[in-house]
Amino acid sequence: MRIFKLKKEYLFPFLESISEGADLWAPTKKPEGKHSFQIIKDFSQIDLDYTRTILPPRKIFLPPSFNMFKATEKKYEADFSHVTEKIIFGLHPCDIHAILIMDQFYKHHYNDPYYIEARNNTLILGHSCWPDEHCLCKSAGTDIIEEGYDLFFSELEKEYLVWIGSSKGDDLIRRKPDFFDENITDKDIQKYIEWREEKDKAFSVSIDFKNMPDLMELKYQDPLWEKLGQACLACGSCSNVCPTCNCYNINDKPFLTENASHISRCWDACTLESYSEVAGGENFREARSLRLKLYYTHKLQAYISKYGKPACVGCGRCIETCPVDINIKTVAQSLDNETVDAFWDRFAKEVTK
Amino acid sequence: MKNDKLKIGFYELTGCAGDCLLVTDCEMELIDIFNAVDIQSFAMVMSNNTDGELDLALVEGSVTTEKEIEELKDIRKRAKAVVAFGTCAVLGGVQARFIDPKEWEKNLKIVYGNTEFTHTKPVQSKPIDAFIDVDFYLPGCPVSKEQFLNFFTRILKGNPPEHYPNPVCVTCKYNENDCLLKKGELCLGPLTADGCGSICPNHNIPCNGCWGPVEGANVTSEFYLLKEKGFSVDEIKKKMANFSGTKITDYFQQLDKEPK
Amino acid sequence: MKTITIEHLTRVEGNGGISATIDGKVVTDVKFNIFEGPRLIERLTVGRTPEEDVSISPRICAICTLSHKNAVLRAIENALSVKVSPKVYYSREMMHMGEMIESHSLHTFILALADYLGYPNAIAMAANYGFEVKIGLEMKNFGNHIMKTYSGRFIHGENPIIGGFGKFPSREELIWIKNRAQQFMPFVFKAVKLFCELDYPTIPESDTLYACCEPGNNKYGFWGEEILLSTGEKFKRDDYKSFNNEFVVSHSYAKRSRYNGKPFSVGALARVNVLGERLEGNAGEMYKKYFNEHWKKNPLYHNAAQALEIMYCFERIPQLADILLGYEENPPVISYTTKNGAGTGLVEAPRGLLVHHHEIEDGLVKYVDIITPTAMNCEDIERYCHIAAQELLDKGKEEEIKARMDLIVRAFDPCISCSAHAAQVEQAQQEAWKDRLTEITTQTAPVFIGVGNDERSDDRIGLKLASVLKESGMANVFLESDIQADTALQERAQDRPIIFIDAVNFGERAGKITMFPVEYILNNAALSHKFIPFLSGQIHNEQIKNSFVLGIQPQSTDFGQNISPQVLDAMDKIIDHLKN
Repeated sequence: MRIFKLKKEYLFPFLESISEGADLWAPTKKPEGKHSFQIIKDFSQIDLDYTRTILPPRKIFLPPSFNMFKATEKKYEADFSHVTEKIIFGLHPCDIHAILIMDQFYKHHYNDPYYIEARNNTLILGHSCWPDEHCLCKSAGTDIIEEGYDLFFSELEKEYLVWIGSSKGDDLIRRKPDFFDENITDKDIQKYIEWREEKDKAFSVSIDFKNMPDLMELKYQDPLWEKLGQACLACGSCSNVCPTCNCYNINDKPFLTENASHISRCWDACTLESYSEVAGGENFREARSLRLKLYYTHKLQAYISKYGKPACVGCGRCIETCPVDINIKTVAQSLDNETVDAFWDRFAKEVTK
Repeated sequence: MKNDKLKIGFYELTGCAGDCLLVTDCEMELIDIFNAVDIQSFAMVMSNNTDGELDLALVEGSVTTEKEIEELKDIRKRAKAVVAFGTCAVLGGVQARFIDPKEWEKNLKIVYGNTEFTHTKPVQSKPIDAFIDVDFYLPGCPVSKEQFLNFFTRILKGNPPEHYPNPVCVTCKYNENDCLLKKGELCLGPLTADGCGSICPNHNIPCNGCWGPVEGANVTSEFYLLKEKGFSVDEIKKKMANFSGTKITDYFQQLDKEPK
Repeated sequence: MKTITIEHLTRVEGNGGISATIDGKVVTDVKFNIFEGPRLIERLTVGRTPEEDVSISPRICAICTLSHKNAVLRAIENALSVKVSPKVYYSREMMHMGEMIESHSLHTFILALADYLGYPNAIAMAANYGFEVKIGLEMKNFGNHIMKTYSGRFIHGENPIIGGFGKFPSREELIWIKNRAQQFMPFVFKAVKLFCELDYPTIPESDTLYACCEPGNNKYGFWGEEILLSTGEKFKRDDYKSFNNEFVVSHSYAKRSRYNGKPFSVGALARVNVLGERLEGNAGEMYKKYFNEHWKKNPLYHNAAQALEIMYCFERIPQLADILLGYEENPPVISYTTKNGAGTGLVEAPRGLLVHHHEIEDGLVKYVDIITPTAMNCEDIERYCHIAAQELLDKGKEEEIKARMDLIVRAFDPCISCSAHAAQVEQAQQEAWKDRLTEITTQTAPVFIGVGNDERSDDRIGLKLASVLKESGMANVFLESDIQADTALQERAQDRPIIFIDAVNFGERAGKITMFPVEYILNNAALSHKFIPFLSGQIHNEQIKNSFVLGIQPQSTDFGQNISPQVLDAMDKIIDHLKN
């Protein structure tokens, strides 16, 4: 693996040179303060001083809603209009790990052409980060990234260490060879190591994901799930903000004049009531507690059993989002018999008083 | 020539006429809509309306006079399917916020004094399903263009209408809004049926519940959550009742059963 | 008796109807009915927060939603002493331009034009007038776009809030709106030419009083702090009640208003009449070119006035865009701490003056008073319909009454849901006067006044009848001569209907009895009678609207003392009826 040094002032000129003919996506700050990946029209929009975006980067490959087909009486025409040349800049390691999980699912387990096409036309440019009180990547083992990116930018004081992760990444560097310096000094290495050590100490919470599959099985009938179900607003947000959730629904959108229809695909969430409803109106998981169990079984048990790692990358989005504090941290802590500070727990005590 | 187009009627009871107006707001689709079906009645845009048999009647507004009850029953008799078109028809609308009949009578008197109305007697605002069977509900204050067009084209193509079972939060997250409830605002997003495109939170304004309650809304939990955030019981109940009319009573009763 | 009823006024936004009743040669009754049920809008937000009030009150009406929004915001911000920044002020004006264009283009091209071109609706009209329909729909679409951009959605947008906006549109959006408005100008000229040169019928024509907001600075505009009348009188916003007296009529849930007891008109035509001289640019040129005497007295010119206002808006939008582009920063929402106050907001909705008065006590809404333009226009709509119906009847064009009343009502562009669909013409029943008399006398004991000339045969009948009633011991019966002497009539008649008994020449068979509101005399040249001066001198305007004429067709009013037998017969019938 080759590593170069890039002066900070060269960053935007470099991005400009490589993003010609492609959509450059990067984190931007919304007026209300939170961040979001957006297509960049002006480099001043980019804000790298961010911890996490509201929606995960999977929205860039598979938007919340897009058309899969135009169906007429005679044929289906596949619609790949969501596929364009893209560069995503500024992805944190947890989000790149999440893309690898999406790859596992959509490229290896099932071949989803809509994902594969979008993914194959996208370059991944990662960026280093600093944890906040919700970050669980160290626990999830996703704080370090070794694959899944084309370039990775580690921020030092005045420069970046730029790690080349693929031959495509190498091609990018060659467009502006003058910007990149191969001469990495001992001092640079020292700075990087110190930064790594500092970052390691900055995590305030940890979860033992290894124990989770057993605890999920052992506590499958635990009253905990009733408590969670009682408070859950069934808003689907935990799924929508999760970078590894991949469920979707399909709908016909008929045209007004032409005898044709769009077949559209939109994100679905197992925590929503309609998710487990089948033809005839039967619902397998009408109770919110059952739906939450499904969600956490997927995140904490099934995936670990199959792939040896959790389907949680510790990005902290569910922790930041759920209004009633049902999230990977409080659920895992609770499974582990730790005390939790969560609305759902206070609510359970309130209503059973 | 045999006319096999669907016979459709748009009707307005008491409301702001916003749902019918919204149909005219489909400017680019309006001529296609009129050509696709045989519109028998649409008082806002046509003068040659007829009162015959219908395949589909879209009824906007709530029932607030005895005459409207008669009109509504007549529409039901003539139409194979009736759609409650907009929040007023679905839930009674903002004018159904007096849950207690005595409250309503008192306020009627404040507005109109002792006038004995000669044309028709007023009744407390009620959704249309208080008087007739309704085949489909299309809430919204007013209904959304997308939901109306989707409903209309599906019916036109012989498909069952699509249901919108999710709360506003789903679209709100798609739109990457910062959660206003989490920020401590009195947002009714999790309790409210989706369809508006989370338009208020998109503008940093908390959801006021104008689509009415979503199926399976966890009112109790949100109620306690809002209380914990410092809102008074009165404030929360009032805001929840603004659009959901007498139907919110069921929820309140459910709440009152909960221990203190 | 025959009633022409337009059971559902079509092509107006809302639910209502107009009916005219014809008794032989007299139109005895015109009623503008609003079938909308009572919504108690003014009571819905009592006890709610000012924010909930701003959200709910505009739901009174879909098409004027943003006028109501601007009015409630102005009222509440006045009440709570919230002063918004210029960017907010001009953004609200831009938003209002969107609603004006949306509403006016819908009304002129899509709803009204079909009448003049003889089609049941705009879609049917599109087959031959595709271009006009397309312009109308494109303009409407543009107006809607502005409304959506600023308010959040087409109808009942929630983005405008107390102290500012939830979110401001981007600069790109503003530049797009400006450019698009400029692209529309050639079509705007076509619209003005089309609607100002339409062949408007000359029935009805009658002077009226016009009212609108005074925008200030000698400018045209859609809001202000004062109400300005065509007479030049002005009323401060908080004095709106002294201009506008609201009352309830039993045939409608829409409240009504009069000024000094007289109907008046608001809307585009009122604004052009009162403020037209102030129009600048192309709109000013077009005003000079087209404005004439008809515009001052013919309500059908509302459509022409609306077209002129469309031009004003399209010229104002680029100016507003430039102003707004000058403010780089988006001002934060102004927070307030005031918990008590009362405030009034005056706004010109597309269909006329709109008054919102809101009072806040301990942080919650205590009282709301909303007077909508259609409520103000109700009385003049009825008056103009009566004039048209009577004139057409006199000219033997009874079959045209229904369509003409439709045209008049639609010209006022009533947004019926905000107060109150179509015309009805009916023949009165045999002896319809009996029912009406019964209806009035069973509610409150009326005051009867016998009117006539004691020296002119059948014209003596009013005096004679009154004398007989008086002698039989009935209270509150007077002769014309008593009144002139009795200054206490005003007090006695207070709140009671006054019934004038008189010989009235309708050109009917002798002895026919007809009963109708006294005001119709004012609208009917053929019926004008000597007691018009008497009316204006003795009876307060407020009382006129509650007064009737019980008229008997005379055989002769030549000098002499004999009353013809048919007329005496009629007198007996009235006496019998009153005794029962």
